[in-house]
Amino acid sequence: MIPSLFLASIIVFSFIHFIPGDPAAVMLGDMATPEQVQQLREALGLDRPVYVQYVRWLSGVLRGDLGNSIFFHQPVTRVIASRAETSVFIALISMALIALIGIPIGVLSAVKYNSWLDQILSGLSMFFASVPTFWLGLNLMFIFAVMLRWFPSSGFPSVIESGDWGNLRYLILPCLTLAAPNSALIIRLTRSSMLDVIREDHVRTARAKGLPEWKIILKHVFRNALISIVSALGFTFVALVSGTVVTETVFSLPGIGRLVVESILRRDYPVIQGIILVIVLLYMFINLLVDLSYAFLDPRIKYS
Amino acid sequence: MKFPRLSERVLAFGVCLFLLAATSCAAAQEPAKGGVFRYAAIDEAPTLDQHVVTSDLATTIAQHIFEGLYTFDANYTPVPMLAESTDVQEDGKLVVIKLREGVKFHNGKELDAEDVVASLNRWGKFGTRGPVLFEHIAKLEADSKYVVKIYFKEPFAPWQNLLAFINGGPVIYPKEVVEKAEAKPIPETEYIGTGPYKFVERNPGRYILLARFDDYKGLVGPADGYAGERIAYFDEIRFIPVPDVGTRVNGVKAGDYDYAEQIPGDLFESLKSDSSVKTIVNQGCIQGFIFFNSKDGILKDNYKLRQAILVATKMDMVLRAAIGPEELWDANGSFMPEVTPWYSKAGLEKYNRGDVELAKKLAKEAGYNGEKITFMVSSSYKMHYDSCMVIAKQLSEAGFNVDLQIYDWATLVSKRSDPEQWDMFFTHHGFVPDPILFTFMSDTYPGWWATEKKASLKKPFIETMDQSKRIEIWGKIQELIYEEVPVAKTGDIYMYDIYSPKVQGLSEMSLIWPKLWGLWFK
Repeated sequence: MIPSLFLASIIVFSFIHFIPGDPAAVMLGDMATPEQVQQLREALGLDRPVYVQYVRWLSGVLRGDLGNSIFFHQPVTRVIASRAETSVFIALISMALIALIGIPIGVLSAVKYNSWLDQILSGLSMFFASVPTFWLGLNLMFIFAVMLRWFPSSGFPSVIESGDWGNLRYLILPCLTLAAPNSALIIRLTRSSMLDVIREDHVRTARAKGLPEWKIILKHVFRNALISIVSALGFTFVALVSGTVVTETVFSLPGIGRLVVESILRRDYPVIQGIILVIVLLYMFINLLVDLSYAFLDPRIKYS
Repeated sequence: MKFPRLSERVLAFGVCLFLLAATSCAAAQEPAKGGVFRYAAIDEAPTLDQHVVTSDLATTIAQHIFEGLYTFDANYTPVPMLAESTDVQEDGKLVVIKLREGVKFHNGKELDAEDVVASLNRWGKFGTRGPVLFEHIAKLEADSKYVVKIYFKEPFAPWQNLLAFINGGPVIYPKEVVEKAEAKPIPETEYIGTGPYKFVERNPGRYILLARFDDYKGLVGPADGYAGERIAYFDEIRFIPVPDVGTRVNGVKAGDYDYAEQIPGDLFESLKSDSSVKTIVNQGCIQGFIFFNSKDGILKDNYKLRQAILVATKMDMVLRAAIGPEELWDANGSFMPEVTPWYSKAGLEKYNRGDVELAKKLAKEAGYNGEKITFMVSSSYKMHYDSCMVIAKQLSEAGFNVDLQIYDWATLVSKRSDPEQWDMFFTHHGFVPDPILFTFMSDTYPGWWATEKKASLKKPFIETMDQSKRIEIWGKIQELIYEEVPVAKTGDIYMYDIYSPKVQGLSEMSLIWPKLWGLWFK
């Protein structure tokens, strides 16, 4: 894990410093002269060799200090933490919706394989999987925020800072926007995984033994199909935390995805490095959890 | 006792109702304090330190917190702000500024001449526009608690405009704050000004929060542009970054924002007829500029070739494609808009020609043989990109071999500082009240226009204290621009914003940066 993190940090650091662009010039704006840009570069320590900057940054990371944002003039940990709240809530609520919608419908579709119900559910899931999120988001916003005024159109006041859990209503439309295409994918995955298992010998044996159909589906088919579904859900969770740029932009949410893109455009090196580090760590952690869940789901898998 | 007839009673009842409604209407129009104003901004401001940053959004926010010695009235004439009076002596070589007494900073300290001198010195050394003024200043001193003296090396006419222009300008901080600060922007914890609102906090990605400063001591008298009284009716103002335009528009319609800035032209007609929002056009127009490389490459000093490029362009087509409705642009080749006294027709016969034959003839005379012309544009600004698509096509039709290179803004800014990498680049310029503030008037701005003819006109332009003489010289400079073509202008572009009908106190048009003092909720 540590070598992977180290390697990722070197790659990210090198890449962002080699692309053209200067945070000092971006900050000072169009009117600044090259001399003024250079003054600010020196003040921010950007004039030093890249390897010196890397060693400084790495020594800070080892002490738990990710540096200061060039753009926000705040510690990177604070900037990421303020954005992480939104992303984690979005991921948790969306995941709940995805699992609650995707898995039961996928199971139903597999059980009713080739029926009219299966055809309709498959058609709907194809539709939602292919709908662009910005289109869906803007339409949900127009119907439920502008016309009906049931939900706020955009933004997300902090729940942690205000202690007001009612602020979660700001995330309902964004989470529905994210849940729609992802649920569709989970429906299709659940359906195909179930169909793979449903034709296997042990299911036929269970039926021959006269077990009730619901027990066969839940215990012998669904549980075996669950390994691939859990893997997909794990990676969907990380993707929801780190990469929902379009939805965050449409609903003006202060999340991690938007922060990554904006920081790249502003060349805010410390923030980019910090976020990538956090995302890599998150990927590794979720991967570990998914691997551990395999042993729980399939008794044949054992970790020594 | 005789009761009135039914019809009379109905009439009397109607009159009473009308009077009641009229009274309540009048009461609703009365300015009242209270409420939180939510401003949907296109992005986040990099820093609010006005000495070092020229972002328009930063100025929109910062002008509520910080103030300078002077500001502009509705005619863009500089008038005193923190200054009370000004005495220009020794033919313009000495300026004595008397400060208003009793002005408080947000930390409770009273403003004095030491704060002014410290702030101006820092701006002069590290500020974006400061050196333009400070290279003409011999000495700056606090003569007494409320008097500041500026000694110029020679008369410098635009001094007051430079001190009044807050964008990248000399706002006044407490001495203790600026003495600690150098080139780095002043930290948020030290955003201490004298304005009607004080800085409370910045929550990255969520908002910048300002709150009314109850001890504010502003100017008296009716509001006039940025001058006059600055009454803070709102308890708080939140500047919220909302990058997506659809979200900004829907947010105002849904009542989640009170004001949204920079809405694209293609929505103008539909929003004008939408009763749920109101539109307001910004009077301080921006201008699209094509800069030419005067230091290197094929266009370095080939003025005839530059003129060929200029006459090949048809700017009204560029503006129509990039902006849309004609109410939002003006194909005006004068670098200063018609509403200003600086407006000039000098050289305009070469503007907006779209004459392919003349362009080919001039290019041939200039010795052009189809060499590649590198033209850089940023995709970060839709207006830049759309304009350049049309310009590149027009140039290509006139026989120019244009290599259009598209970058994000940060990359373009980095590349344009290297003269070997480009021949032309596109950007936009905000409204300036004095032509000396145009970037191309600086010899060091990318493009590096620094010819002898320019220098010979610039010197009297900045030294002449007679305004009519300055206007006359500016006409000559504009004529030179159309001759040497260091820069080509597309036209005047009027941005517009939208706001909720419950917001009261807005004029027909906004100024350069929307100001939120003097506004209240219905």
